[in-house]
Order: sequence, then C-alpha cells, then structure tokens
Amino acid sequence: MEFSELIRTGQAQAELLRGPEAPPLRGTLCVTGHHLLLSPGPQATPDLWLLLLRSVDSIEKRVAGDCGTITLRCKDLRVLQLDIEGVEATLNIARSIEGLRLGDAWHFHPPERYYKRVARETNAWRLSEANEDFSLCPSYPRAVIVPRAVNDDALALTARFRQGGRFPVLSYHHAPSRTVLLRSSQPLIGPQKRRCAEDEALLRAVLAGSRPGARGFIVDTRSAQTAKQARMTGGGTEAKAAYPGWKRLHRPLERGRPLQESFVHLVEACGDLEQSMDHWLSRLAGCRWLAHVKEALSTACLAAQGMEREGACILVHGAEGTDSTLVVTSLAQLILDPSSRTMAGFQELVEREWIQAGHPFQLRCAHSAFSHARPKHEAPTFLLFLDCVWQLGRQFPLSLEFGEGMLLALFDHAYASPFGTFLCNSEQERCLCEVRTRTHSLWSGLNQLKEQRKLRNPLYVPNPLALWPSVEPQSLRLWQGLFLRWTRPPEPSEAAWEKVWQIVTDQEKTEGSQPTVSASELQL
Amino acid sequence: MSLLRGLLGMDLIRTWVRLFLSFREKLALLDSALLLDVPLGVISRIEKMGGATSRGENSYGLDITCKDMRNLRFALKQEGHSRRGMFEILTKYAFPLAHSLPIFAFLNEEKFNVDGWTVYNPVEEYRRQGLPNHHWRITFINKCYELCDTYPALLVVPYRASDDDLRRVATFRSRNRIPVLSWIHPENKTVIVRCSQPLVGMSGKRNKDDEKYLDVIRETNRQINKLTIYDARPSVNAVANKATGGGYESDDAYHNTELFFLDIHNIHVMRESLKKVKDIVYPNVEESHWLSSLESTHWLEHIKLVLTGAIQVADRVSSGKSSVVVHCSDGWDRTAQLTSLAMLMLDSFYRSIEGFEILVQKEWISFGHKFASRIGHGDKNHADADRSPIFLQFIDCVWQMSKQFPTAFEFNERFLITILDHLYSCRFGTFLYNCESMRERQKVTERTVSLWSLINSNKDKFKNPFYTKEINRVLYPVASMRHLELWVNYYIRWNPRIKQQQPNPVEQRYMELLALRDEYIKRLEELQLANSAKLCDPSASPSGPSQMMPHVQTHF
Repeated sequence: MEFSELIRTGQAQAELLRGPEAPPLRGTLCVTGHHLLLSPGPQATPDLWLLLLRSVDSIEKRVAGDCGTITLRCKDLRVLQLDIEGVEATLNIARSIEGLRLGDAWHFHPPERYYKRVARETNAWRLSEANEDFSLCPSYPRAVIVPRAVNDDALALTARFRQGGRFPVLSYHHAPSRTVLLRSSQPLIGPQKRRCAEDEALLRAVLAGSRPGARGFIVDTRSAQTAKQARMTGGGTEAKAAYPGWKRLHRPLERGRPLQESFVHLVEACGDLEQSMDHWLSRLAGCRWLAHVKEALSTACLAAQGMEREGACILVHGAEGTDSTLVVTSLAQLILDPSSRTMAGFQELVEREWIQAGHPFQLRCAHSAFSHARPKHEAPTFLLFLDCVWQLGRQFPLSLEFGEGMLLALFDHAYASPFGTFLCNSEQERCLCEVRTRTHSLWSGLNQLKEQRKLRNPLYVPNPLALWPSVEPQSLRLWQGLFLRWTRPPEPSEAAWEKVWQIVTDQEKTEGSQPTVSASELQL
Repeated sequence: MSLLRGLLGMDLIRTWVRLFLSFREKLALLDSALLLDVPLGVISRIEKMGGATSRGENSYGLDITCKDMRNLRFALKQEGHSRRGMFEILTKYAFPLAHSLPIFAFLNEEKFNVDGWTVYNPVEEYRRQGLPNHHWRITFINKCYELCDTYPALLVVPYRASDDDLRRVATFRSRNRIPVLSWIHPENKTVIVRCSQPLVGMSGKRNKDDEKYLDVIRETNRQINKLTIYDARPSVNAVANKATGGGYESDDAYHNTELFFLDIHNIHVMRESLKKVKDIVYPNVEESHWLSSLESTHWLEHIKLVLTGAIQVADRVSSGKSSVVVHCSDGWDRTAQLTSLAMLMLDSFYRSIEGFEILVQKEWISFGHKFASRIGHGDKNHADADRSPIFLQFIDCVWQMSKQFPTAFEFNERFLITILDHLYSCRFGTFLYNCESMRERQKVTERTVSLWSLINSNKDKFKNPFYTKEINRVLYPVASMRHLELWVNYYIRWNPRIKQQQPNPVEQRYMELLALRDEYIKRLEELQLANSAKLCDPSASPSGPSQMMPHVQTHF
C-alpha cells in the first residue's frame, strides 16, 4: 500500500496536549501511512505516542504567528491538540492527515504509479496524458503508458483506427526478458482493408524499444474465421504484411452471451438438488465452464510463455478489448510477476487491468445467474478471471498472499457493493458521477485489519518464479467455495483455516515478543 | 543383468538403463536421471511383445501390467535372446506361488524398533469399547476356527445366546458367518453387527434359531422395538442369490426388523469400473471428454453408494434409533466397507494412526476380507475373477472423508498411499492370506514383518499437522457427487504431467511454522528465565515502557 503521495510533510516538532489530566508531550511528530507518531526527545521518557489515523473523526487547524494548532477529534470521543512549529508544516500535516484518515485508497493505483515502476526498468515508454479529457478513448483512463517514440498526435490517429479508440497501450513490462505485454481493441480494417501508418509505427516502435531483435505476437482472442468475418462490420485483425515482425495467433475465448449461459447452467446444475446424481459429471461437462477456465488459463500461459521463454512482445486483443483481452493480460501478469501476487499487488492489478482498463462492470455485472431478464450485456468475464486465479491458488497453495476469501469478496462486490470501486463502466463515467468523492473505496474497506483474516493466505511465502499452471482437465476443479458456497457445510474447512491462522499469529506473537525480551535484556 | 531400453508407458522418458532384480523383491532401473523402483509384488502380468522378426523401434521386449494403475514397457535388443532369461526370472520371482517359492515377506529380514503385530489386540480393543457388559460377552467358541473358518478366534455375541445357539445359527448363515458385534455405541448402547446372508434359498427356508438370535440382539436395547438390517446389495441381486441358496431376511420370518438394500454392486462390477478408470488415466489422460469419460467409469458413483450406505448405518446407531445388522452375500467385502466406514464416522479413536491400523486389522484382516484372492499376491492368474479393488475403494472413501474433514484425521494422504502400496508389495505380512486361520497356520506374525512396524517407527512422516483431536464427534461426509473427487494423487500419480507435490506443500509449510513457533517459544522461555534470574538482582530494574518500543515498531 503506497501512501507516500499523500504525505506532504513527514515530520515536524510539536507538542501534544491530551487533556487536563495527562502531561503534555513534546517531540518529533511523524505522519506515516496509517499512524500519527510523536517520538519524544532522547532525554525524556521513552514513551512513544501513537494514533491510528483512521480513528480521526474531524480535524481543525488554526495558525497564529509562526505556529499552528491542529485539533483532532477522534471516533472514540477523545480530543487531542497538537501545537506545531511552522505554519507551512502545520498546514501540510493537517492536509496529510485529512487525506490519510479516510484511508482514501482512491489514489492508490492509477496508471501513474505503475508507470513509476516501468520507468525504473526501462526508458522506452512514457506516460501520455493525451486522453486527459477522454476524447481519444472514452473507456481508457486519463493517463496511459505508450512507447516514448510515439507522440500524442500519432496516438490520436491510432485511436481512430481502433474500435472504441482503444489504441495499443502497455499493460505489463517484464523486466527480466525486457519484453512487454500490450492490449488494445481490434483494428478497424473493414471490408476495404484500411491501414493506418501511425498504428503500424506504434507497433514497430514497441519492438524497437524492446530487446534487440525482439519479435512480436498478436494474440487474437477470436478464431481466425471470426476475426476475418469482423471485417464485414468494420473490424478485423492485423494484416501480416502491414506489421512486419509481428505474428498473429488465434486463441478463441468465449465471451458475452455464451459465457453468461455457461455460468447460468453451472449455477443451475449446482443448485439442482433433485437432479439424478448419476449424471452430475456430464452435466458439469455440459456447462462448459471448466472448458472456458482451461481456455483462458492456457491463453494466458501462451502470452506469458511468449514473453518469458521466447523473449517476444505480446499484443492481446479481441474485438472491443474490454473482456477476454483483460482476462488474458491480467492472468499473464499473475503468472509472471511475483509482486502482483501480494495482497497490495493483486488489488493494484484488479484496479489497473480491470477497473481503469475499462471493463464495463456496470453492464457485465448488472445481473448474476438467477435473473430472468434476458441477458443483454451481462457476462461473467470477471468471475472467469477470479476462477482462473482460484485454480492458480489451488495449484500453488503457498504463492498467493491472498486467499479464497479475497476472491469471493471481489466476486460479491463486483455484483453488488456498498463501495464505489466497481461502479460505472469506465473512468470517464466514474469522473462524471464523482464516484471518488461520493463513495468509499473497496480497497480501504478490505484493508481494514479485521478483514485480513478472511482475505489473506496465512501460508504465503513469496515465490520469485513464474507460476506455470497445469491446464490438464484433471488438474482443474469446480470452485466449490463459490459455486457450492451456500449448499455445503462450511465448518470443516473453516476449522482447518482457523487452525492455520492461529498458528501463524501465535508464531508472529512469539516472534514479536522475542526481541522485546532481548532488548530489555540489553538494557539490564 | 540385461541392457534394456525402458519405456515408462509415456513416450516421455526414454533412456538407456540397466534393469536390476535386486534382492529378489524389486525391479529397479538405475540411471543417473531416473530411478524406477517397483516391488515385484505389484506385477499383475508379464507379456512378451513382438517376435524375432518384429521391425521398428521398441517393438520387441516385455510389457508388464501392474496392480497399481500403471504399465511398464521395456524394449530390448533382439540379438542374443536376452529377453528369454529376463522373462523367466521375472516370472519366477513376481509369481512365486506358481514356482513353489515363498512370498517375499517371508524372506524379508528388515528390523524396526516397533513391532506392528502388537498394535491390535482384540481383547483390549473390545475392552476399550466397554465390552464385555451385561448384554454382550466375549466368546472363544471359534478358538480353533471350528465354528467359522473365516472368522477370528475371538467373537462378541449377545450374552443371552448360548454357544449351542451360535452353532445352530451358523448352519443358517453363508459360510457360517454368524451375526457378531463390531462396535457398540458408548452411550446409547446400540450396536453394529456384521454377518453373511441367511441361507433362505428358493424355497424360502426359515430357521427359528436365527430369527430368535436376531431378536436377542434387538433386545439388548430394551427400549427399541425394531432391529435394522442393511443388506449392502441391490435388491435384485439379493433375490437372485436365492437361486444359489442365499437370500435375505423376509418380513414374515423376522418380526421386529426392517430391511433396507443399499444398492452397492458386487466385486466384478467394481473391478470393471476400476479397469475403466485405468483406461482413461494411463498411459495418457483422456483429455477431450475428461468429465464424461470419468463419469462413464462409474467409479465415483460406486464410492458415493458405499459412503451413503455407511452414513445410514452411522446415523441409525448414533441417533440411537436402532441397532444395525450389516451383511452382503458372504459378509467379507461390502460388509467390511460399511462397518469400517461407519465406525470411522462414529468413533474418533479410529481416526488416529493407531486407531486406523486397529480398524483395518479388526474389520478387514481378522474378519476375513480375502486379501489373497482379491489382490492375488504372488499369483500369476491375472484374469482371476476373484480379484477386485474392494479395499482400495475403502481407502478411497477414507480419503474422500479426509478431504471433507481436514482436521479430523491424524494421518495424511501419504499414510493412505503407503498402505495401498504395501497392499501389493508383499514386503510385509499384514495383507497376506484370506483369513486369520490361514495366517495362524502359516505363522505370519512370527515369520514376517508387519506394515505397522514401518509406519509406527516413523510416525511423523504420516501425520496430518492439522489434526485436532475431538472426542465423540460424529462425521457425516457429504456423499453427493458434487463433493466427491477423483483421487488424482493416487490414480494419476504416474503421469509426469501431474505435479508431484510430495510431500504436500501446505502440510510442509504448516509444519515449518509449527517448528518455528516452538523454537521461538523455547527461546522466549530461556530468555525469560535468564531475565528473571537477573531481576532477582536488586540493581537491575525492569524497564516497562521500553518493552513497548519494539512491539510498536512491528506495526509498520
């Protein structure tokens, strides 16, 4: 969790008044991501004062001369007063507390942050704000990462050549192989076989910016035939001759109505308690849900393999580039990138590759599996992604920092949520609806301490390697925790989970108190 | 011995290897990259493939079918008749019975620091159950196996039934396997009784003694007016058995009883079902229609029926509704599955490592499950109709339960797989012969080593770290097809594409954490000890607030 952007001044000299009974406390005031700390000078009592920022209910600031006063009223009804040296420092600290106390995670994961990481690894890419007013692409965020060699004017032209303006942007930079993962929508080739010089130049620039001699693969999530047929309606797929160095691969993934139907049938089958048991397995097979999971996982493996093993750059798109494309790019990152497997990293991945990337949650998750309404835009694309992540977690039980609980929470909140994170279909809509100011972020809800036990995997050990899942049919299971959640007795598995947690916290406790003893021993 | 080209089923591993017959019990391949280690006991069939005129790579050699879901194929060089010698030696030692040779367990001189043969002592086990009591007595009537040659020497029968009654009842039960007690509920005193089918026959014979005997069993619980009989077979089969002299308890003859059929199929159906499972997993996994091919084997369906039957038995007894009599035809296959699984659900003692060993030893080995016939130890007749994976099916059911109740069992998956491996290996005497009287005659306990010696001398390896001991908790697994899984780690373990996760990473990580915690606690105690020693010194002062510091810092 990165709060550093919100902290304007980290430190100041201050005096804390805690009410008539307690003596005032002087020392260095520190603002951290979660806490306000007052560390007294070395000669004073060694007491460290600490306040959880989220417990601040209201904040009031006053300035007089070159001093300032901040009054904090806390949710537990305490009133605290901080006298701070320096006007600037007072205002900055007040603003930092203001920003942090809401636990406002809205600013946690913008593309800007991911760009910082990419910029550390390579300088072939730049952050473009060409989409500042959403005029190039209404479903992209304001800032996107594009090749440094391509200017904003060229981007505008490329956007016109891609459906919905979704020109190729960077999704993930794989530093070890110096290759990239890109996503876009289909090119608007049309029946006249149009071309776009800027679009071709952009993909050329991608290869040029990668390691020398790098090739590229375009993973089209439609069959070759469907891609070709799309030309009749103005779409299509990249012509070989126009994009030298890029090779096209077709991996048809199910989307839209058939995917929704598969989901509905599966839920029906799982809930049908009357159904003759002899045919459960063929009914399960008939739903084809596990087949979709297998296809999604193997396509993600293909993209990841292309980068890691072959040193190739990968562009993923289907038609609109807002559904199966995102399944593939986000799973490929989970396979390759250890940092996306942490709690914070996974939240960032979902924020960046699904929410900011313009997956139309509002349309896709309007109805779940029970609705009698005829599905129009509903499709469980995000659920398919979560199921794939669950399969990955089952095959690599130690390598994900989050557990099944996290995936279930994301599923629940994507369909109905008191938080604003999954609202609307795109960044533009979220700006129009002022989602950020009028709702709370799911991530701050999930990152509360009391939620952690349900969401985290207690056995997590960071795994620096790529996770290559087995996609053999016998390796993929029905996600019972989701599909049979309300029909199976949960106690036994919960008991095991509780036991693991107990041992982990026991161990942390003893680990934590152990240096205490040695520290006091040193002083003796 | 012979230079062979080993083809391990899949064409994935091809390498020149040396084939060894080491110490007459194992087939081992030595190679820098690969070690194949196959006990000769698992060999079911050895065939020569190709002839002297065969052309093409790997067309000439030996094809070995194993009992544990795999085949081995060795391609040999055609020159020099190397195959003949190999074939003869393998056949001789893989099937010692046909060559009047002893089974390997009798030659095995392994030593362990624990004697597994002492694990099961029937008197102690019955005493643990609170027997004998006012209604049940231990009888030695079968001491010399005269009453029933496939039953153990020691039996528990109703107090009110005399030895003469028992002898008369034996005449009316198939193979003299009379109803005897398997388990008694510690509180409500209802019981699980096992036996074989009554010899009713086509003419509908009756036997007053048998009818009276069952009523005596019912009366051991005064307040209950019905005795429940579970016939494990499908009703059609039970009726068909009348033609060969068997049958079931009819309403007219047995008042105060209710009879239910549990629809579990016979040994032949199970054998064919497992054969189909092998077809879809070995050498290649049937990928395109995995779920429907799995369904067409019906294996999970059979598992479901066995579990469902056992749940019904357990529920009757645990609710105190009535005592239960379980039988099938001979009462040594399906009956053993049902009684042992029900006991596992009812009695937490059997969920410990030693408890489970006792359960297997009691309900399976001592009560005459025909291991020798069902497995075919050392016997070359691979097509024998008596062979059937009944015990494997029981272990599969236990595995399904352990999946659903991850904290309820002291043992782990490796324990179950080890038992299955040695079911075939012939390294131990535990599963040899069909019944106790045979084992006694062959002095198995004196001349062979028990499998439990191996396991109990290295228990840590077989322990489930999540185990939480819970007394008196009855486990009711969900026996719905939705909740049953194919035991991939057993049935598909030879497929190199299946990730070998041995030992289970979750278990291992958990063990690490446990060890780490113990270590910290130990160090903490040591430091506290050292601290308190210093605190006695008046010059040392406790520094309370400073202890807060590091603790606080751990939050960030």
